[in-house]
Amino acid sequence: MNKIGLFFVFVFCVFLQFSSSGQVKALPAADADMVKKSISDAARSTTSLESGFIQTKELSVIKEQIVSKGTFYLKKTRLLRWEYTDPFAYLIIFNKDRIYVKDEDKENHINIQSNKVFREVNNILIGAIQGTLLQDTRNFQCSIFDQHDQFRALLVPVNQKLRETISEITLYFSKSDYTVEKLVMREASGDYTRIEFVSKKINQLIPDEKFAIP
Amino acid sequence: MRSLRSLSLILIVVAVSCSPVRTSKLTSVKHDVKIPDWESPFARDFDKAMFKASLDVKGKHLSGIALIKKTSDTSFHFSFANEIGMTYFDLELWKDSYRTDYVFGPLNKKAFLKILQHDFSILFFTGSFCGKPAHYLDPVTLDDIYFYSGAHLFAYLGKDSRKLTRLAGWSSVVDASLIGLEYTQGPFPSGINILNPRIGMLLDLNLLGR
Repeated sequence: MNKIGLFFVFVFCVFLQFSSSGQVKALPAADADMVKKSISDAARSTTSLESGFIQTKELSVIKEQIVSKGTFYLKKTRLLRWEYTDPFAYLIIFNKDRIYVKDEDKENHINIQSNKVFREVNNILIGAIQGTLLQDTRNFQCSIFDQHDQFRALLVPVNQKLRETISEITLYFSKSDYTVEKLVMREASGDYTRIEFVSKKINQLIPDEKFAIP
Repeated sequence: MRSLRSLSLILIVVAVSCSPVRTSKLTSVKHDVKIPDWESPFARDFDKAMFKASLDVKGKHLSGIALIKKTSDTSFHFSFANEIGMTYFDLELWKDSYRTDYVFGPLNKKAFLKILQHDFSILFFTGSFCGKPAHYLDPVTLDDIYFYSGAHLFAYLGKDSRKLTRLAGWSSVVDASLIGLEYTQGPFPSGINILNPRIGMLLDLNLLGR
């Protein structure tokens, strides 16, 4: 091998070294369990949560974004009001096994047991916000990463049916209060949706009427 | 020869029976007037548009946001995802074909996607270049209706606005489609609804932005 060839092999080796050291490794099982416990404890002590959100859907094939904004309210147990205000008004209320959807003037009542899509959405949203998805070993394989001021939880569906729709879910938890700050849901299509939570209010009074189904 | 003539007759009867518009109910315009140039609102300088979308088919209702983007001179991309962001459709569409980049499981039916492709083909790839039309008038609205028999297409132009208000076309018994276009301001439609009466499909698109 001539000198130029050797030089390129050297550069390649240096590049490999740097790129592998740049990868964040998953926390060992014992540390991951401690993080999961802290998230679970924080969720247990959270009786209500109100937050704004910015949702960005990335369309991978055409490299476009769809941005939506809104507010959500969560109250124990299994009460969720997910409300879009931009680019149009759209409201979903999950009240235990019942779902109410208001799309402009159209109202729709859905039983969660009879609608697979809404059942999945409900499980993912509530599970992600409360961090309970991390304990859902029946549906997800979970790895935890220590990343600057956040813990990143990577959830890969083990359920084949779910994997046909979602390839992975990543949750970013604040290291200060262990609440979720960001959710990234990557679909089998390659598209992904990023939901960033802003202006969180924990354990503030949220009236039950917010979750009332008309 | 006789069997060939019989076959032609059968084909004409089948073709006419597929049409979603009955010309017998329209007023035929005999005098020879200049046919105005018209084109799809998705032609020429169209780049992309985002819509609030809903699809009703076989008793199922899907809603969310759709994005239509021109990807080349001969193709468009149609993406439709629910409000939470989960994709229903991700299709690349050409005049006579389509490619599925992703379709949500229960919707991934070849016959249904072919119908959808044909509906979009009418919306995207038609214009006054489709041939020499027969001219009719809608007896109620007095809209001009041009029938392009070779393209199996009816195009309605508003009496006063001269904008394209409706398209109707078909290629077989099951994919007859009626497309309505509404305008609030400007030359691009603020609302588009695609009705496929024979399979009971309604796709409603309301413009959010371009």
